[in-house]
Formats: sequence, structure tokens, C-alpha cells
Amino acid sequence: MTSLLEAPADPAVERRRAVQAAAASSLGRRKFASMVALGICWLFLLIAVVPLVAVIGYVIAKGLPAWNADFFTNSTVPEGYPGGGVWNAIVGTVVITVIATAVAVPVGLSCGLFLAESDGRAAAVLRFTADVMTGIPSIIVGIFGYIAIVRNFGGYSGFAGAFAIGFIMLPVIVRAGETAFRGVPRSLNEAALALGARRSTVARRVVVPTALPGVITGVLLAVARGLGETAPLLLTIFGNQYLQWNPSKSMEALPILIYNYSSQPYADLVQVAWGAALLLMVVVLVLSIGSRLVAAYLRKERR
Amino acid sequence: MNTRNATFARHGRRTASLAAIGLAAAALLSACSSSSSSSTTTTTTAPGGSLAGNNAAYLAADLKAPGGSLNASGSTFVQPFFSAAFYKYTGLNQALQVNYQGVGSGAGITAFQSGTVAFAASDVPMAASDLAKMPANSGPVIQVPDILGGVAMAYNLPGVSTRIKLDGPTLAGIFDGSITMWNASQITALNPGVTLPSHAITPEVRADSSGTTYIFTDYLQSANPTAWTLGTSKTIAWPSAALQTPKNSGVASSILSTPYSIGYVELSYAIQNKMSYAAVKNAAGVYVVPSPATVAADADQKTGVSSTDFSIVNQAGATSYPIAGYSWAILLQKQTSATTGAQVVKVIDWTTHTGGGQDLAAGLHYVALPPAVQNQNRTQLLTVTGPSGKALLTK
Amino acid sequence: MTTIEALPSAPSGRGRRRALPDKWYRGILGVVALLFGALAVWFLVAVIIQAKPAFSTLGFSWIVGKVWNPTHNQYGLLPFILGTIESTAIAVVLAVPIGLGTAIALAFLVPSKVRPALSTTVELLAAVPSVVYGLWGLIVLAPLFREHVEPFLTSVFGWTGLFNGPDRGVGLLLAGVILAIMILPTMVAISRDVLIVVPTEQVEGAMALGATRWQVLRKVVVPGGRTGILGAFTLATGRALGETVAVAMVIGNAPFIAHSLKAPAATLPSLIVNNFGESTGTELSALFGAGLVLLVIGIVVNSAARWLVWSTGADAAGAELGR
Repeated sequence: MTSLLEAPADPAVERRRAVQAAAASSLGRRKFASMVALGICWLFLLIAVVPLVAVIGYVIAKGLPAWNADFFTNSTVPEGYPGGGVWNAIVGTVVITVIATAVAVPVGLSCGLFLAESDGRAAAVLRFTADVMTGIPSIIVGIFGYIAIVRNFGGYSGFAGAFAIGFIMLPVIVRAGETAFRGVPRSLNEAALALGARRSTVARRVVVPTALPGVITGVLLAVARGLGETAPLLLTIFGNQYLQWNPSKSMEALPILIYNYSSQPYADLVQVAWGAALLLMVVVLVLSIGSRLVAAYLRKERR
Repeated sequence: MNTRNATFARHGRRTASLAAIGLAAAALLSACSSSSSSSTTTTTTAPGGSLAGNNAAYLAADLKAPGGSLNASGSTFVQPFFSAAFYKYTGLNQALQVNYQGVGSGAGITAFQSGTVAFAASDVPMAASDLAKMPANSGPVIQVPDILGGVAMAYNLPGVSTRIKLDGPTLAGIFDGSITMWNASQITALNPGVTLPSHAITPEVRADSSGTTYIFTDYLQSANPTAWTLGTSKTIAWPSAALQTPKNSGVASSILSTPYSIGYVELSYAIQNKMSYAAVKNAAGVYVVPSPATVAADADQKTGVSSTDFSIVNQAGATSYPIAGYSWAILLQKQTSATTGAQVVKVIDWTTHTGGGQDLAAGLHYVALPPAVQNQNRTQLLTVTGPSGKALLTK
Repeated sequence: MTTIEALPSAPSGRGRRRALPDKWYRGILGVVALLFGALAVWFLVAVIIQAKPAFSTLGFSWIVGKVWNPTHNQYGLLPFILGTIESTAIAVVLAVPIGLGTAIALAFLVPSKVRPALSTTVELLAAVPSVVYGLWGLIVLAPLFREHVEPFLTSVFGWTGLFNGPDRGVGLLLAGVILAIMILPTMVAISRDVLIVVPTEQVEGAMALGATRWQVLRKVVVPGGRTGILGAFTLATGRALGETVAVAMVIGNAPFIAHSLKAPAATLPSLIVNNFGESTGTELSALFGAGLVLLVIGIVVNSAARWLVWSTGADAAGAELGR
């Protein structure tokens, strides 16, 4: 409602007109800036995806040629000898991870249950402790494992390695467990209690089954993390060129085999390192994707 | 000098024929002998001497060691040899596995002091200060040579196909940082006719506590008494220009992937990975290419080695390669378990004698221990006892 | 009269097992929780006890000493503290903008059909084991850096004085880049979760005022999520600080303060992992001391991160990603 003949009366109107004029005149510049900035965001997305494709691509390209029957059934051999494989490392990794998981899951979930049911000061301290523990650098867990187990129990062993890996997995399971258990609706809890069930029954029959998808996600993530840890194993299991099922003896594991073979000048050993890297990566990726699928299932169920 | 080479070749043949005679007599001897403390007779008429006659009997008994598994760790200098030897041993005595991890001489000694390994391997024997750190009641420590090897100066020089020559002063200069370019005057002076690139030198050294470092710096100190100031040790304060990598295998791998680098690695690594390595000037002024023969020539100059007098670098002789050394197996004299002790002493005995592990040495570019040294080893190993005091090495 | 049926007896589960009395149930859980706490205490006490001899022999100033030379009894940690900080700084400088940009792209720009797949792809970076990153970095990236990346950077940025020295491939720069790749998924995942929860009214209000999409992002969304983004940044930093093997494989292991991005360096974790096996006495104790320093730094950074992430209500499961 403006015309050149009207006197400019209202300063508010003036301001609005000035703003609109500024907006209109700057629109081109702002649109351009927006296009550039968003373009950079797209570029960054691309940059973020490139390393993943590169790493996975290289590991597959260099590791797949190493995969043959011998690779999975024979133990490691000295350089220059034919028919070597990583079976001893696979066995070691599996044994150590199974022991670590077998201890960390019950303990971690019990702690998670305790924390989910408590709100007191003690619980707060424990919660903080668990969070801090997830951030402890794994090399320090390794040196702790060395002085706690290797020194006190007469030498390197699979148990020492399982102790260190379990130590790393435990706080992850505790926090994931607590989150999952807290996610169970209180109404379910209270209904069960009202029916006269004891707390342990409620836990066993209501809380844990309902929280199971979340618990499984957390456990799978913890296992995936434990599988990838190298530093703690370097200081606790010593390595073993031979097949060893007994966890009280020194064992081999895929991460330390990769670490040791990666800086070898012998091409056949480097080939074995790539093959082992591919194996480890595939297992960890499968577990991670699996945990994601469970989480997605969980979200769908809830909706 | 040709006589020395000829003598060396002759003594090799003599050893072989003696061993044959010994084998033939073994049956008779083992039937008659009852005590395990029979002394061995040696003759010292030639460098290295000759092997005792009852060698085969001991070797046969070595392969009957009790079953189980042993952990051992230490030197990466000896790792290619030990890997092959222990692999062969387990092939012959499937009940006993010897798990050897190459972690560096220093870490091997530390593991031995902590009691986490049954025996250790180090290219420099435990010194008095190391022995002082052993637990109070562990008793005496036995250290025996287990192989003889050389340290090659391996390099990566794109575009240079002739083998380069280096001497003590230039090597000292390269590794203490005073010579920084490949075409420095000191290096070009030694290599007339070779076009050296105008590029910075990357010295490749060990990051970890290494017996190979000890042997190399021992040579540098011996060849440059005043000019080399960084000392002789398993750990050296290298200049910042040097690229540090753990283990012999790591250094070899680093040299292979870093152009214009030069580093020190055990000869086996250099040959097996087809690296270029330098001819080094020895004490007689001759530029010698490292090889099992030239390493043996150097070792033959000094056969009376012991754990307190072990350096064989920079010896006299026209064909001696100056950077050479023994690697040492380290074990307790008084073993805490008769079974483990028997396993340890028999494996080491088998590995350090002709007819056993030493037969693999040549194929891996090491030098087998001279017979005199082998005989000395056995004498020492015969003193190893279990907790009851009974000797563990038997025929 | 109505009859009241007796209540059916409590289900006895499998067989005739009775459920635990509540006291026992709480008691057992409490004991387990206590054991967990005791484990944490044991850990702390053990590391402190092992580190103590170094502090009694050497005092406290050795933590910032410049020279690490055990044969001469010198145990300065400064080169490793600086190496840790510098490699982390490079990683953060690279990962934060790229991570934030990727998070923005994933949260707002990418078509919703493709979004879950792409998000998962980026987050899978976190699942690759660190030793595989080290292997790839050493064998694939190091030659690439030595032949192409470092000469290029030196020619373009050499004037800054940050690119002195020969092109080696391994060194501080490569370690920083590998770390950046490793912490990128953390940055992306948490930032994206934080950006999504900014209230739609604010976003729509800004758009109604005629703001371009970038202006909406810059003035409304990102500032709205800034605490969470800060938390993501701190969490990513905490992870980079503690990374051991991937860094040890590509950083060059030089116990010196690096004066160039291309120089080899060392970090507190790489110092410990390389020297632990061969150390005894004071040196071993000094390594535990280095571990203690690392622990303190890591705990401080991670605690700050978690507090920041929580206070925005971002998905707690997202915060548990990877290592």
C-alpha cells in the first residue's frame, strides 16, 4: 500500500520494507552461497565414503587370493614353506573371544540390570565408572592384563588375553544392557509384580525377553569390538605358530598375526596378512551389520 | 689367503667323514654306555676342530624328548634359522612343539628374566648387569652359541645397479648423521665409476632393543675407535634422520619400500628378499661381500668364544667379512621342572649340532657352528640338571 | 452367593524350581555390581603401583622431559605427549569439518530412500578393525603419500614451514590421516543424530522467513545442535588419543619431537606397545607412568564428551559405536 506520494509515517513499516528489499537484493548471493555450501557438504559425503570403499576394496583384492583350503585348515608355517594358513590364529581368536564373551555377558548384563533398577548414588558412581572404562585406551588394558595375569599366573596364556578382551567388552555390555533394560515399559514390570511375581521372575520372564533385541545389539557390538582389539593381545598371549586349543597356553590370534606379518619383507607372509585381514574384517562387518539389523527390528517392533 | 680357504674347505670334508664314522660306531657306543657324563674328545688341529664321535647318539636321544610345548623368544637375527629348525624338529618329534617368537634380543632377555619363556635367544649374551636382574634363587645361566651369521648393509638405490663399497668411517658417518647425501665425497671416493644420486640418505635402524644393533655398533666402534661416539649397545640414541622400525624383518621391509635408504639386517633377510647389499672394507683393507663363506672366514679367526668374550667383528684375514656374530641360546642351568628342562636342553642340543638343526644353516645363508663350538656347547648342556640334580641331556 | 475361585498357584516355571527371594536377587546383582566396581579399582591401583617407582626415582618433571633415552636414564615423555596431541589434532582438523558436512548431507540433503544405506555405509567405517587400517595405511597409503601426496603438499604449502624434510610416507601426517578416517564415523553418526532432533518449528520458522537452506543450517540447525556436535567432536578426539596399533604401524617410531608434518614421530600408546616387552625396572615403571598420563588425558576428554552428548539427548546407542 505504498505510493511515492504518501509520507513515510511508520518506522516499523520502513524497517520491514528495508528488510524485504535487502532480502530480495541479496537473494541471488544467498542462493549461490547456499549452493556452494551444500555442494561442499555433498563433496564431504563423497570424501567420507571413499576411504571405506578403498579400504574394503583393497582388503578384498589383496586378501581373496590368499583364501584357499590350506589357508583355513593349516597353521602358520615359516617363510618360504608352502601350504601355510591361519587356522591356529582362527582357533585362538575364537577361543579367546568365546571365553571373554562367556564371562563379560553374564557379568555385564547383571550389572546392567542392577543399574536399570537402581537410581541411588552407588548406581551413579558405577554408571560413571562404566562410561569411563569404555574410553580407556586398549594398550593400558593390555599392560594391566600383563601384570594382573601373565605375571601372577606363570606366563602368557589365552586366559590372559580373554581377561583383557573381556575387560574391554564389559563396560560396553553394561551400558548397552542398562539402556535396553530401561527401555522396557514400566507398565510391564509393574503388571508382573502386581500379579505376585518375585523380582527375579520379573527379570527372567519379562524384562530380559522384552529387552532382548537391544541386549543382542549391544552384545554383538561388544563382540565386534573385542575381535578387533590388537594391543591387549600383543602383551598377553605371546603368539603361537602351532595349533593350540588350550587357553592356559600361549595362543595365536588374527589381529596379532596381521600386526606381525604386515611389516615382513617376505611376500608370502604379507599375503597371509592380507588374507587374515579380509577374514577379520568380514567377521566384524557381519557382526556389525547383524547388530544393526537387530536394532532396526527393535525399532520396527516398538512402532 | 688361499691356504685359509683351502683349510676351511678341507675341515668341512674332514668333519663329514668323521660324522660318518661316528654314525657307524653309534650303535656300539650306545649299547655300551650307561653314564651320561662321558666327556667328549676334541682335536684342535684346524680352525673349528672336529666333531665328537658320539654326536649321532645324542641327536637320536634329542628327538625323543618328552612331549609338550615350549615357549622361547628373542633375537630376530636368528629367527629365520630357528623357525626352520624348530619346524623340522617338530616334524621329526611330533610330540614336542617349540614356539619361538622373534621379539628382539632385549625383549627375549627380559622375558627370560621374568620367567615367561623356557629359553631365550640373543645376539649378545646376558652381561653381568642382566644376570644381576635374574631372580635370586634361579641359579647359574648357561649361554651357548646357536648359529653364526652376518649383518649385511642393505640399501635401496634406484638407478644404481653396481654393488657399492663402504668402509668403517663412511658407515659411521651415515649412521651418526654426519654424512647426509648419497653423493657425498666420502662415498663417491670409495665408488669410482658409480653415479650416486644427489639425494638424502635415509638410515634405517632398529627401534627395539636389538642384538643385531649391538653387533653392528660393535663393528662401528672397532673400525672407528674415536670417530664413532654413539657407543656399542642394543639400544642406541640414533639421530633424528634415521627411520626406526622394530625387528630385522621390519627394517628389511622398510628398506625395500623406502628409496634411498640403507640399513643393517641379518644376511639371511637380505639374500632371501633379493636386497642389494654393500661390500664392506675389512681389517685387512679388502672390500668383502657378505656371504656364508666370508662370515665363516671371519669367525675362524677367533674360535675361542664364550659368553664373556663373544665379539668377532672386524677380524684379520683378507676374506673375512667384518660384521659378523654368533647368536646365543640362554637357559637356566638348574631347571625347575625335569620335563621342561629335558625338552629345553634336548631341543637346543639338536638345534646346535651338525646332523640336527645346523644342517639347515647353509640353505638359509647362515654358517653352521664350527665343530669346536658345537663340542663346547654339548659340554655346557651336559651340566643342565633338573630340580633333583640329575643331568637332563642323555644319549 | 458368588464363589471366589482360589487363585491358581504361582507358575512354578520349568520343573519345580522356585524363584529367588527378592533379597537374594538384589543381593546377587549387588555383589556382581560390586565386583565390577572392584575390577575398575583394581585396574587403577595396579597401574598406579607399577608407575610409582618412576615417580619416586625421577620426580614429576620427567613427564615433560624432552629426551627419551633409557640407556642414559632419561625418560622424558614430551615427544610422545606432543606426538599424541599432534596426530590427534591433524585427525580432528580433517574429521570435524568433513564429518559435520557429511552429517548435514545425510540428515538433510540425501533422499530419504538412500539415507539408511548411505548412513550405514559411513558407519561401517567404524567396524573395520584398527589393525586392518594399519595394514592398509602401511602398504597402500604410505607409498601413495611418499610418491604423490607429500611432494604435492610440499610444493603447494611448503612456505608454511610445516612440510620440511624428506618425503617418507610414514610419519605424523599419515598417522593423522588414518586416525581421521577412523574417527569419522563417530563424528558423522552422533552429529547426524543431533542435527535431526533440532525442533522442526525452528527450522520451518527460518524457512518461512525466506532463509536459504544453507542459512537455515548455519543459523538454526547447527547452533541448535552445537552441544551435541561438541560432544561428538570430543568423543572422536578421545578415541583418536587412545588408538594404538594403527598409529604404531604408520607413524615411524621416532622418539623425537616432530618439527614437520612429514617427520616420523611417536605417541604415548606407540611408545608403550613398542617398548613394553624389553623394559625392566625404571623404564618399565616409566612406561606405566606414560600409561597413567594417557589414562588421565583419555578420561578427561571422554568424560567431557559423554556429558556433552547426554545433555542433548542424542541416541545413547549411537554413542556406543565401535571403539
